[in-house]
Amino acid sequence: MKILIIEDETELAKSISEYLSGENYLCEFASTYNDAMNKIEFFSYDCILLDIMLPDGNGLTILEELKRQNKQDGVIIISAKNALDDKISGLQLGADDYLTKPFHLSELMARIYSIIRRKQFNNSNVIKQNELQIDLLAKTVSINNKTIVLTKKEFDLLIYFVGNKNKVISKSTLAEHLSGDFADMLDNHDFVYAHVKNLKKKLYDAGCEHYLKTVYGTGYKWESN
Amino acid sequence: MKPLLSRTTKPFIIYVLIILVISIPVYYFVVDAIWKGELDEHNTTIARKTAYEFNNLKLSDAALEKSIALWNQIQPGTDIEKIPFNHVKKDMFFTVEKQKTFASKPEIERYRCLKKVIYIHHAPYLFTVETNIEESQETVAAIALITVFFFVLIVVGLLFLNKKLSTSIWKPFRHTLDQLKTFNLNNQTKIEFDNTDISEFEELNQSLSKLIEHNISVFKTQKEFTENASHELQTPLAILKNKLDILLQDEDLTEKQYQITEEMNKALTRSSRINKNLLLLAKIDNSQFDNTEIIYFDRLLHQSMEILQEHFELKNISVNENISSSVKVNGNSSLTEVLINNLILNAIRHTPPDGSISVTLTDSLFEIANSGTEKLNTDLLFKRFSKLSADHSGSGLGLAIISEICKFHQWKINYTFENNTHIFSVMI
Repeated sequence: MKILIIEDETELAKSISEYLSGENYLCEFASTYNDAMNKIEFFSYDCILLDIMLPDGNGLTILEELKRQNKQDGVIIISAKNALDDKISGLQLGADDYLTKPFHLSELMARIYSIIRRKQFNNSNVIKQNELQIDLLAKTVSINNKTIVLTKKEFDLLIYFVGNKNKVISKSTLAEHLSGDFADMLDNHDFVYAHVKNLKKKLYDAGCEHYLKTVYGTGYKWESN
Repeated sequence: MKPLLSRTTKPFIIYVLIILVISIPVYYFVVDAIWKGELDEHNTTIARKTAYEFNNLKLSDAALEKSIALWNQIQPGTDIEKIPFNHVKKDMFFTVEKQKTFASKPEIERYRCLKKVIYIHHAPYLFTVETNIEESQETVAAIALITVFFFVLIVVGLLFLNKKLSTSIWKPFRHTLDQLKTFNLNNQTKIEFDNTDISEFEELNQSLSKLIEHNISVFKTQKEFTENASHELQTPLAILKNKLDILLQDEDLTEKQYQITEEMNKALTRSSRINKNLLLLAKIDNSQFDNTEIIYFDRLLHQSMEILQEHFELKNISVNENISSSVKVNGNSSLTEVLINNLILNAIRHTPPDGSISVTLTDSLFEIANSGTEKLNTDLLFKRFSKLSADHSGSGLGLAIISEICKFHQWKINYTFENNTHIFSVMI
């Protein structure tokens, strides 16, 4: 899986690439508009992470260029601007997703995962891991060919974990993922614990192995080979 | 509300009415005085002419006496009377009113009289003559009638002219107004005013153009500033957050170190939230939100309640909903969503476990009440970064944002504490 990170902030680009490395992800960088334009002209990527504020140009122009060349690369806009106008114009120009800084790397990884899934395995959107089978389109989960019923939040969590295989994810990160903007306004993050506990129980009861591990008391990790 | 022209018309008409009413007695006195003057002149002429004619007849004294007696009998309204020399007086002019003697109906007639001494055959005679003049009430009535007629003419003319003028003269003004109504600072579309040859309107258009240009440029700078500030602050926060995520993946991490990164994570989330909230406040202050959407208030409320349902359950809070259906208001829906979420979250945070929250929505009121123990400090309530409780997890901006959103929509927010219940009510 080739990923192009178009980002002028080198520290950010380094962190992203470090987090994404392993799990088949190969990262390339472009820190300027011109650099990015050259790269997309000669190569194609599974996913492009695009910062729209670049020192020598606007990232939205890169999107236009991609569209003009009819490239099928998945694009996630990463922006510090939380402006609705930008979001709308970005998505209209063909971006697949929009993430506002600051974000968690696990959130980014989960979104990259689902975009690559969508782009590459068009109709067979099924993730398999031994006895576990997840159908992303139908939003169903089955274990040993037996369907189990998950709530929307539990399904969402499962995809998040699977998209962040072998990574430790903290409870506060999950709280942000689940409740969006107002996670920190709530006193405690017990609701995360409740959802994870239910998910674990449902998977285990249906005969699934313990892929979801608790780390350091409050962190979680989806282990798979 | 009345159009400007009708406002000026009314005082004009009242002014004309007053002037015309005053003019009625003035006209009467003037006409009466002219009339009397003319009649006095006429009476004097008759007296002189009579004396001249008698002298010209060259009658004997006896014949003269007879002629005068005859004159007095057949000449109505005049009387000649011999007077001694020592009774000679100055001419007297006066008006009398008396009953008409020969008419079938009794009618008051007005007469202008002259008593003048004339000399016939060098002897003094008192000549009295009365001439009928128009009765005063008839004159006044005629003048009043004519005045009313002219008044009606003026009013009809004025209204007609007003109607004509308001469509033509005010046309450039109306155009300017239409342009202003469609102007939206958010879209920053330039406004082109029509050329007009009326100096006031031209001046108005020029001032408006200047004002709008200035506003657009200020708006742009402010918008750029908030966006740049956002960029500058969000990027280092993003770097920190991402570094922590990477640190978390370190296999040699101890549980203590993990707890520290988790605390840092929470603090970072809070600071990025404060940053986002400050930007939101700046944006509301700069009116960067469109307020012309139709908001389906009840739908937004149901949506928020559903999302936050699990948090009610987690704290075992009983919820009492009283939400009217199809409550529609004008404003900005994303800001309204923020308002609703903030108010409900606020209530959840400050409700003790096993407490209760009640949510009420009617066509004009949105109210959230939650159980509590102590009244909040109303002076600090809606101030930015004011600490109302010992709990430090909030950004300190939630209520300030609520208040700004209410101001933006021109809604009124109110806080009361009754029967151990905090009540926040928004008049929408």
